[in-house]
Amino acid sequence: MSHGHDDPTLHPEVQMSTSRGYFSGFAISSILMLIATFLVTSRAVPPFGLLMVIAVCAGIAVIAQIYFLLHIDISEHNIWNTVALVLFMPLFLITIGLTWWMFSQLYLHTMIMPGMTH
Amino acid sequence: MLVDLAGGWSPMLGRLAWSQIPYDNPILAPLFVAVVIGAILVLGLITYYGKWTYLWKEWLTTVDHKKLGVMYILIGLVMLFRGFIDGLMIRTQQAWGVGSHSSGVFGALHGYLTPFHFGQVYSAHGVIMILLAATPLLVGFMNIIVPIQIGARDMAYPYLNALGLWITAAAGALIMISLFVGDFAHNGWFGYAPIFELQYSPGVGVDYWIWTMELVALGTTLGGINILATIIKMRAPGMTWGRLPIFVWATLSANVIALTSFPALQVALALVAADRYLGAHFFTAGLGGNLMLYTNLFWIWGHPEVYFVILPAFGMMSEIFPTFSEKPLFGYITMVLASMAIAGVSWLVWLHHFFTMGAGPYVNSAFSVATMLVGIPTGVKVFNWAFTMYRGRLTFNAAMLWAIGALFLLLIGGLTGMMLAVPAINYMVHNSVFVVAHFHSMLLTIVYAIFASVIYWFPKVFGFKLDEFWAKTMFWLFSAGTALVFVPMYMLGFMGMTRRLDYVFNTVWHPYLLVMEFGIAVYMLSVLAFFALLYVSIRDHAKNQVGADAWGTSRSLEWLTHSPVPFYNFAVLPHISARDEVAWRRDNGIDHVQPDHYEDIHMPNNTGVAIILGGLTFVLGFALVWRIWWLCALTLLAIIALVIYRSFKGDPGYIITAAELEKMEKEAMRREAQVGKQRRQAGSGVLGEAIAYERSDLPPLVSRPSSPVGLDHRS
Amino acid sequence: MSSHASNVDPKTAELWDKSHYQHDVISTRTFGYFMYLLSDGMLFATLFAAYGVLSYQHSYFGGPTPAEFVKPWYTFAQTMALFFSVLTYGLGMNALKHKNKSGLINGLIAAFVLGVLFLALDIHDMMHLASLGITVATSGGVSAFIVLTQVHAAHIFFGLIWILVMMAQVLSKGFTTDVVGRLLTLRMFWHLQAIIWVFVYVFVYLWGYMS
Repeated sequence: MSHGHDDPTLHPEVQMSTSRGYFSGFAISSILMLIATFLVTSRAVPPFGLLMVIAVCAGIAVIAQIYFLLHIDISEHNIWNTVALVLFMPLFLITIGLTWWMFSQLYLHTMIMPGMTH
Repeated sequence: MLVDLAGGWSPMLGRLAWSQIPYDNPILAPLFVAVVIGAILVLGLITYYGKWTYLWKEWLTTVDHKKLGVMYILIGLVMLFRGFIDGLMIRTQQAWGVGSHSSGVFGALHGYLTPFHFGQVYSAHGVIMILLAATPLLVGFMNIIVPIQIGARDMAYPYLNALGLWITAAAGALIMISLFVGDFAHNGWFGYAPIFELQYSPGVGVDYWIWTMELVALGTTLGGINILATIIKMRAPGMTWGRLPIFVWATLSANVIALTSFPALQVALALVAADRYLGAHFFTAGLGGNLMLYTNLFWIWGHPEVYFVILPAFGMMSEIFPTFSEKPLFGYITMVLASMAIAGVSWLVWLHHFFTMGAGPYVNSAFSVATMLVGIPTGVKVFNWAFTMYRGRLTFNAAMLWAIGALFLLLIGGLTGMMLAVPAINYMVHNSVFVVAHFHSMLLTIVYAIFASVIYWFPKVFGFKLDEFWAKTMFWLFSAGTALVFVPMYMLGFMGMTRRLDYVFNTVWHPYLLVMEFGIAVYMLSVLAFFALLYVSIRDHAKNQVGADAWGTSRSLEWLTHSPVPFYNFAVLPHISARDEVAWRRDNGIDHVQPDHYEDIHMPNNTGVAIILGGLTFVLGFALVWRIWWLCALTLLAIIALVIYRSFKGDPGYIITAAELEKMEKEAMRREAQVGKQRRQAGSGVLGEAIAYERSDLPPLVSRPSSPVGLDHRS
Repeated sequence: MSSHASNVDPKTAELWDKSHYQHDVISTRTFGYFMYLLSDGMLFATLFAAYGVLSYQHSYFGGPTPAEFVKPWYTFAQTMALFFSVLTYGLGMNALKHKNKSGLINGLIAAFVLGVLFLALDIHDMMHLASLGITVATSGGVSAFIVLTQVHAAHIFFGLIWILVMMAQVLSKGFTTDVVGRLLTLRMFWHLQAIIWVFVYVFVYLWGYMS
């Protein structure tokens, strides 16, 4: 792929931006955040279920943003970005998830506190 | 000020004061004088010979990956020596201050180091050896070798490469200056909560520790991005993934680890800094802090880090064994998969560094199983190396000896590692010198691989071989030292000796400690042998000149370039047809085919911005340590301004015309033809006969069946 | 595959590249930058892990908790400011696609202004907390809350400086390869901040408010 002397604005990474894509990403994430805020402030749903719901809102919003804004897909031009992201995702989950497991086990074994809530 | 500082603070100088310079310390004061004299000598010599322009143009502003790699290795060797001196100090204190009747000098009750100073010595020893010796040495090799092994002209981001080097140098300078201005941390190389909190470490030592490590982390992350982008985007045409040299695969997996794990270190240390600078309560013993959180965050980085340092070492061994067995690497695909598996599983094991901290049996078991799993791909590698050597035509030169030594140490270190993976055993030997002996065995595996690589690739970079006799002498002395220091250490670990003891209370251990001290003396001899090696090699360099294929049996692409490698690497990019391209060309008789015509090539310019930015990061680190806020703000602004300036200036690079290229290439080929004629080398040396490196009378090994167990390793 | 099982015939093999192979400068730049962004994501993941450990009841040591000081709708306004900023930057990049310099500049200006709005709201919030005596020194839980949110804010701050630099570069140099490459990487950076913000907003602000 030789783009050394071409017009840089013709580069595929510039050309793949679409206003439709950006509007879609914006709309989806804004609406989901609105829903999440509304649910939390109106206290209509019990806590654990609420946590699940807003986590799902966050998850969908982020997926939409990753697809529409970061252009993560399996097209030839973006494939390495996608590979890198797919490689990192489990590590994010491991860092947060295993830490969380470790410490909840720790607290279970070492902290005997009445009324300990989370 | 959000925190209470002991020792006062002034707006102009922060915590800096004359009292922070240890002019009455009996060890440091003379050392400072020696350093000043040495510095004046070096600077004076450079001025006398008028070399400042040369230094600035050729080395300090370079963006050439080979020169940057050489400078990384120089930094690494200097810091290795400093770390070795720290190790010597530890050994001496532990050989001297044994038992209640042992004498004490220099203000110490026993031995010659007070506990506070001893703490600084072992903390500095750890930080330097891992982050400022091993890491720069490995990064240096990756820098030099990877582009020429994949047929590229330079790294993907040459300027960023230079920046990474100078930031690492700044970190080295910061830890060196902590010797003479202030203290260093005494909380061990990886730190513990709450000893690193302001309350228990009111001095600046922990701050030096934080910012040194943050700078190294930054430099290494930048380097990691560079190498990954280079490998993925800049391979020569025809260099498919299946033809990638094994060292490049190892580098790829190692740098994936670096990229993913160093941010965790940056966060862990930044939170310590938040506690110390902003009065936060991340790791305090009260007000909602969590002490174990630090250990957790640190080792999320810490464990992948050790695999980051060992994978390139494995890659180096994977290059050296095939070359000196005159056989392709056995099980290339499994080696690649093993490297990737190690990189992946290494992310799941970090709790094994703190089994005893109380996470409970379920968590401990899970991490224990994961730790044992990571030994499997390592074992695959060991077998593959053994099968590579099996029925090969072995050459026991110095590089091969170091590589075999590395393999042997890997066995010991790896097996003891598997022992430590079992929580039941771990609970018994946690924090004893058994652990110390284990990880030193692993780190020495790396050091051995590095020395092997120095000997192996030195001719490629500098155009002449190192002296065989002194290289072998150094190997045997170093190995004797290793045995004498670490075998007793394993025993002491089982006998219950804790690590980091400044006063050894049990005189039963004294004979072992004395043996270890003798081992250190032997190490010192090996250091002298190393200096002899350098002197003799440079003195005799005209006799030991080599051509492109320095060893005669080399296999991978870098051996296609001239020796020393020209600054543009390849005049015409090679087209790759096979794995082990040079071996393929040589075996098919086409290794001397040169390109028939040349094209203009585009090279990046040198730049002074990188070294100035490095200098600014050093000043920033220093200002942060001493809390000189105006200087922090000023340097930060200067750094941002310089980055923006560089961004505007850009670098159009320059063109080497085809005609100039052709001239340089013809000159290099003429020189090589001359070297081939005059050289006829028969090796000789201590305990190993080196075979002559140009045995064209023997048939190539490839015609023999190469697989010992009937498996076709063509896959 | 041994090196000699190459399926290329040595007699006719092309040994030296004749295709004037040049690597793609822009995509090398954006790929490298994307890897940096992922490492930045790991930085945030680690901060989230720390926050997770320090968001238990005892982490607040009896002091103020996010449930008491978080204002969801105020923070929602911040969210919208950031999302609009991200949108306008994206529309600016769309203008780049059509070689529309003024469209790009307008997008950058809008992104900048909205980013400043986000930051202003955030700083106002922090100052308000400080006036109530809630700082990083209050408790471990509050330390984690403030550090995590303000690290994100710091990223926005540096991003804003970068937007200004890019405006200057577009005006002075036009659409060179380097400038276009930088606009692409800044786009990626800016969009990542929105993604991180979703996590910060939901799991720190909203969840904190719920607890």
